[in-house]
Amino acid sequence: MSAQLWALAAVGMIVLAAAGLENFRSRRARTLAAGATAAPAPEPYILYFTGDSCTVCRTHQEPALARLGDVRIDKVDAVSDRALADRFHVYTLPTTVVMAADGRALHVNYGYAPAPKLERQLAEARGTTLSAATA
Amino acid sequence: MSTGTQVVDHAALKVNQTGIVATVLVAFLGSLVFRPLLVLIPLLAIVLLLGTFAPQLALFKQLYFRVLKPAGIVKPRPVQDRPEPHNFAQGLGGVFLAVASVFLLPVPVIGLALALLVAVLAFVNLAFGYCVGCQIFFQLERRGLVRT
Repeated sequence: MSAQLWALAAVGMIVLAAAGLENFRSRRARTLAAGATAAPAPEPYILYFTGDSCTVCRTHQEPALARLGDVRIDKVDAVSDRALADRFHVYTLPTTVVMAADGRALHVNYGYAPAPKLERQLAEARGTTLSAATA
Repeated sequence: MSTGTQVVDHAALKVNQTGIVATVLVAFLGSLVFRPLLVLIPLLAIVLLLGTFAPQLALFKQLYFRVLKPAGIVKPRPVQDRPEPHNFAQGLGGVFLAVASVFLLPVPVIGLALALLVAVLAFVNLAFGYCVGCQIFFQLERRGLVRT
């Protein structure tokens, strides 16, 4: 009995530690990627990092991106285009980056990002573009 | 994008993950009252490792393809995907269970914890679609450590 309880406690601690580590890693990567830039565009757009090994990309992320409607989505293979992936500190797939029209990264989402979240971030990016244009 | 995608039946993967979770749980909880049930852990390690290298020997997937799918109990879910990351994840689970088996008699806490960890990761994949083994595969692929 005690071996099972200790094992359960050990796994609980490992899971908690892994969740904490993942949280730290995504915060750190998000901070590092915050100032990254890519090509400017007339409208805010999304850089979508994916790869052949990413199942969640196909089953969850791509349907969510399809729901966004008329938004430019630049699909990037994180394995073959490593330089760009490194610039945005892509450590997991999928990763979506909401880019402002001037080419600055506004929001970086590591892991699956649902459509409402991306819509909110895009609206914010459009607001930023609008305020920059009127300033 | 490289062109390694083919159709992978995700229902087979789900059945595999369910089999892993169920077997480890039976071994873990069953060993509270009947210790020899722990033998299920090395058996599961063998099943997973065999299935990684010879898909026709993957017990749970064969159960799906030969019984559950033809009987209509589980519906197929074909997805454009690559089988390699999933095989890698299964192999990794098999390796962890093999190491767990080594520890089961001398240090049962380590053996049970490792086996339980495999079950937790299989459950996370089953319930949330997040495959830790596939993420490790992506990292190795990025570093050029695995070639497909």
